[in-house]
Amino acid sequence: MKKYTLIISEKPDAASRIATALDDSGKTVREVSNGLPFFVAKNGDKEIVVAPAIGHLYTVAGIKKGEWDYPVFDYQWVPRWIVEKGFLKNRIWLNELSKLAEKAEEFVDACDYDIEGSIIGYSILKYACNSKEKVAKRMKYSTLTREELRESFSNLLPQLDFALVEAGLARHEVDWLYGINLSRALTLAAKSNSGMYTTLSTGRVQGPTLKYIETREKNIRIFVPTPFWNITAKICIDDHIFDLEYEKKNEAKTEADTILAACKVNEGQIVKIDTKEFQSRPPVPFDLGALQSEAYRLFKYTPMCTAKIAQHLYINALISYPRTSSQKLPPAIGYKTILKKLSKAPLYQKLAQKLLAQPTLKPNEGTKFDPAHPAIYPTGDLPERSLDTSEKNIYDLVVKRFFAVFGESALEQSLKISADINRNLFFMSAYRTLKEGWLEYYKPYVHSKAFALPLLFEGQTFVVKKVSLKDNFTKPPLRYNPQSLLKKMEKEGIGTKATRATTIQTLYDRKYVKGEQNITITDIGFEVTEVLRKYCPEVVSSEMTRKLEEKMEQIQLKKDTKQNVLTDAIETLRKVTAVFKQKQTEIGAQLGQQIKQTRYNKQTVGNCPTCQTGKLVIIRSKKSGKRFVGCTNFFENKCNTSFPLPQTGAIKPLVTPCKICGYPVIKILINSKQPWKLCLNSNCSVKEKKNVEL
Amino acid sequence: MLNCKICSRPVKEEGYCKEHWKAYQNICEKFKIWQKALEVSWMSYLVNISKNSLTGEWAKEVVKYLIEDERRNVKEK
Repeated sequence: MKKYTLIISEKPDAASRIATALDDSGKTVREVSNGLPFFVAKNGDKEIVVAPAIGHLYTVAGIKKGEWDYPVFDYQWVPRWIVEKGFLKNRIWLNELSKLAEKAEEFVDACDYDIEGSIIGYSILKYACNSKEKVAKRMKYSTLTREELRESFSNLLPQLDFALVEAGLARHEVDWLYGINLSRALTLAAKSNSGMYTTLSTGRVQGPTLKYIETREKNIRIFVPTPFWNITAKICIDDHIFDLEYEKKNEAKTEADTILAACKVNEGQIVKIDTKEFQSRPPVPFDLGALQSEAYRLFKYTPMCTAKIAQHLYINALISYPRTSSQKLPPAIGYKTILKKLSKAPLYQKLAQKLLAQPTLKPNEGTKFDPAHPAIYPTGDLPERSLDTSEKNIYDLVVKRFFAVFGESALEQSLKISADINRNLFFMSAYRTLKEGWLEYYKPYVHSKAFALPLLFEGQTFVVKKVSLKDNFTKPPLRYNPQSLLKKMEKEGIGTKATRATTIQTLYDRKYVKGEQNITITDIGFEVTEVLRKYCPEVVSSEMTRKLEEKMEQIQLKKDTKQNVLTDAIETLRKVTAVFKQKQTEIGAQLGQQIKQTRYNKQTVGNCPTCQTGKLVIIRSKKSGKRFVGCTNFFENKCNTSFPLPQTGAIKPLVTPCKICGYPVIKILINSKQPWKLCLNSNCSVKEKKNVEL
Repeated sequence: MLNCKICSRPVKEEGYCKEHWKAYQNICEKFKIWQKALEVSWMSYLVNISKNSLTGEWAKEVVKYLIEDERRNVKEK
């Protein structure tokens, strides 16, 4: 092969798409060298090789090896396979990339144009391609469509965006410094007391996020409800039944009873109708956070799940780059072209053509701006394969939102109807849509409160069908769900659009929180937050994290330097770790106790059915090394109940006992096999009947 | 260091740890609203909130302790 241009892409899927787009004939040759797939294309007289990374191939690691202590402030960038298990395949991958680089005469970084993409490309060019980061050019694009990729390749940026690279390096290095030092401090403190090794971690964003959940949980746990009473009246006007509400909630039962008694009449009268017309502006285009929120509201997809689906759609060139914080759609994306392409799909034909018939197309943009990418929009390319339900949902949502932003404002009317029932004032609110505007384009995702009303007028009388009193209690604050937590992080300015969902996932992975829809903090999560709050409040403070985020943004804008930011971070960590060292025993005692309790709970299967007072726990025999379930009263010579256990697989005690005999039930999880449930009672009749649900 | 009347955490105020103390304060504060609403006695209020599913876990632990304490006091008298 003669000398060629080597293009580095972020992932194999993207590499294939870039190569196909850049090849003049739209066909590409896929080759594989020692497991590394790469794509050969011909563009004019240029020979092109597009080779992919598989995400980050390099990472930050400490220089000193073998020493597991803190503080650690010396680090370097190394191949990921050296320090992380499961990445050994990357070694061959990197070797092959180096071989491809040797025969290349020109280098292009075509990774996603954001912080992460810039680091992936930069580190490969620097370390695997023998310092070619200085001469490499940059492809900048927001969609993986053929047109945009070819346009981008014809107008390559002369060099990498080094400000973006610096900002990214700073983010990774600061996160590593925080993560390694605080996690080691926590883990070692816990180990010093309990003697057990349990990975406890925290980080710059993780700490404050966990604190939000902890604060909310505390408010729920100390909550005391108070009573109040709502009086409602069911009335009939022209055969339509409506519900009216008494003007205020009643905080005294006697007062509520008096009003209720007075309202036991047959007729009432509308005394006033206040109408207000208002314009409802179209929504703004989706940035990633808004898409995640809307997908959660409509489909209950977690932010992480939405980000993954959006990434698939992007790789398939159906939507633009999703990890954006922009709410702007510049005319350069070609509104008309996109709408024309979408009008070819029967599902979108009518709406797209209606928009195309408008004299001008002007999107209702939001204020947020991202220098790297516009807001999320459909490319106009139609799916080449059939999409699965979740992909279809997100794709349709993006298309409908794109349509809606070009719609006219909707005209709505709100009505506040005041009614008198025996000199007691009741209210009803209603909405009417007078002009649909953008609402038409955003169906079925519109959240409309409008409903049909008959003709109403002041002085109109109505029949009182029923007046009732409802006992109510004030409610505790709601627990966070993935969407509301993401919003909170966004509002507090911690994390980035690309990392927030991952941070939430880490809290689950560390077992600090549980519950999919209602996020609840676990006991160990409580303890870790308590320790951090007490000994290093700055680590769980949103303020510090937000300031650090702002500084990192300043690097991107060339108003600050990576060195300054790192110096500040190290200074903070030096103080924090010193406190940890000094108070290690105290911290260890607090964490160790909880770790022991958590382990004990994990080993507890249920109550002993024989003695009724002991607990059944999983024990490993010192003699045989085999595990079994025994009663805790055995050690006091009170009960010798025991049950055999399968010797392979992980055991998870279940909360609900056996429906047949009431004995505890456990779940056995063996890799690559279907998990199965086991009732501890060997004489349980369920074992005789197959397919009987425990 | 003394332990909380309810859990094993260190005492902050009046024999309660920080969290149970906050729950106790909340219980006392909300009693005024319950009194106005239903003209209930302290004991009846405690029984009411102990049965209410909206009452928080820590508040319930304090309520349970307060009910037992009241009953003990009555017996002693």
